[in-house]
Amino acid sequence: MSILKYNKSEVKKVYRKYQPLIAFCLLACVLLIIPNKTFSGNTYTIYFYNPETNINNFASLKTEFDQYLSNYGSFQFQPFSDRKSFEEFVVGRSDGVFLLSSWHFSQLKRKFQLDMQARLVGVLKGKATYKKILTAKNNIINIDSLKGKVVASSGSEDYTKKILMQMHGEENKDIVGSMKILTVPKDIDALMAVGYGMADSALTTERSLTKLAAINPKQYGFLMSLSKSEEILLPIIAAPAQSDEKIRLLIAIIEEMGTALDGKRKLKMLGVDGWKKVEELERVSLGK
Amino acid sequence: MEKSGRIRKGVSGKMKNESFNKIASGLRTYISFSRGKYSSIMLLFIVFTLLPLFIPSDLLASEDKDVLVLNSDASIYKYSLAQSELKAKIATPKGEIDLGSKWIDERKIKKMINEIDPCVIYCIGSKAYQMAYKLAEKKNIVFSLVINWRRHPIDKDTYGISNELLQGAQLMMYRYFFPDVNKIGILYNNKYSEEWFDIAVESAKDVGIRIVGKSISKPDKIESALKKLLPKVDALWLIPDPTVIYDIESVNKLFEQCQAAGKPIYTYDKAFVNLGATLIMSADIPTMIKQSAEIISGIQGNMEIEEKVQHPAGSHIILNMKKVEEYGLNLNIEALDSVNEIVR
Repeated sequence: MSILKYNKSEVKKVYRKYQPLIAFCLLACVLLIIPNKTFSGNTYTIYFYNPETNINNFASLKTEFDQYLSNYGSFQFQPFSDRKSFEEFVVGRSDGVFLLSSWHFSQLKRKFQLDMQARLVGVLKGKATYKKILTAKNNIINIDSLKGKVVASSGSEDYTKKILMQMHGEENKDIVGSMKILTVPKDIDALMAVGYGMADSALTTERSLTKLAAINPKQYGFLMSLSKSEEILLPIIAAPAQSDEKIRLLIAIIEEMGTALDGKRKLKMLGVDGWKKVEELERVSLGK
Repeated sequence: MEKSGRIRKGVSGKMKNESFNKIASGLRTYISFSRGKYSSIMLLFIVFTLLPLFIPSDLLASEDKDVLVLNSDASIYKYSLAQSELKAKIATPKGEIDLGSKWIDERKIKKMINEIDPCVIYCIGSKAYQMAYKLAEKKNIVFSLVINWRRHPIDKDTYGISNELLQGAQLMMYRYFFPDVNKIGILYNNKYSEEWFDIAVESAKDVGIRIVGKSISKPDKIESALKKLLPKVDALWLIPDPTVIYDIESVNKLFEQCQAAGKPIYTYDKAFVNLGATLIMSADIPTMIKQSAEIISGIQGNMEIEEKVQHPAGSHIILNMKKVEEYGLNLNIEALDSVNEIVR
């Protein structure tokens, strides 16, 4: 009996001594047992990165989109300023959708063999595509005169050079390679940079040029179009091929954004005014 | 005899030794050459002597084309942003000096400039520019984030990016954001801003805006001038004129007066957001730094810089939605893709 009594008190002593450690281990076991999804699954995210435009209003974008999405549940918006971080982050991700340029989507699919599908494509003034246009002061009559000159663009340097190459072909590789790309925050800055002499040429959307014509016809008159790109799809919403209920709900919320004034205002910050479902032809151009 | 004979023997032995040494040395040299030992050394000697003659002088000179960064105060966010942006664009600067500390030892700074002997001194902010201008004679200076650069002395080796957006660029954005605003008022002092004002009036015509100006000579005239000006305009454009932006008290009063009259204020600095500015348009810092880096690389490459002080090519726009709603302004929602920050 005495031995038993002694043992009991010893056990109590040891228990008291190791109580915090035991509690910690139990908690750790519980956390390991509970599936990850119970925690991460609570908030689904729109992951955003776009090299086509130098969008740097991330804080405002996040605030505006978070506010809008919170009306529908635990959804959030996560913009990325760096391409590499975005690419590393999206691989294998299934807790959200991806808002990215169509050009970047095709590249990503090829590079990482991602099992992702384009679901929605942006719409602006009823169109899901746009064209890039290279303009210069009207004393520059062709691309040969732009050798070594400054081209202002709201896209990243990499993207701008790729589009310029597509527009001008292999035969002008040297000229395009010699161009100095001045990345500016917006298309209208690029056009003004040409107008006011900070750049020799600008690569912008056709629509931005139309805007300039409406705001400042005099400055528009000094510009000359040198070349146009093919039609490019506006940004897309992509999602994992195997989507759960919550992803389908998030896509439905995004699709409806353009129908309400508040949602439309948020979308304008991204340069689109609504979304539509990706059609088969568009899917083909995106590489399925 | 024995001795002399020994001596003679010794002399002739020494002579024999010398001639032997000469022959041996000649043989060694011959053997070394034939084994390629000396020939490789000679080859290296020739290569290193003649190589520089074939290398373009630009490449050799680039090693001496260091950049020294002088920062007015690295603890200020925009100045530190400018410095980090520049470092991402150019090769590591040879030296970085932060003038933010309260006590500045000019002798130390001058010594550092002399030791580094940079090709370019890159100055961030007015204080840094003034210091470089004073201490670094005949050095290329590139500045950015200098307020009113025209008020500073400059010489033939001075380059930079103006901190102020062109009047025309700002007016274009005002027109784009608020298509109903046709008359914009400007308060200014003829002494400081007459030329600037005249350019604004001309540029406004291109975008269908009429500028109504009121010149004041002293800050205490602000209130009475605004009383006359505000009824005639749709908005006030607050510019960095030292008579108008005189002190916090006068600026506060100006904002209160405009608020009472229901007139939005367009201006140039984020600091005015809390006072109730509606639209703030300033030069985009990363773009300015890219432009500065281009100038620096031009100087390093001995290229001709066509425009020594360039205008900033990018804009940073802050829109105060509270004020847009309060004044019931007709905002062009298409312009929202140009906004960098929205204040609610």
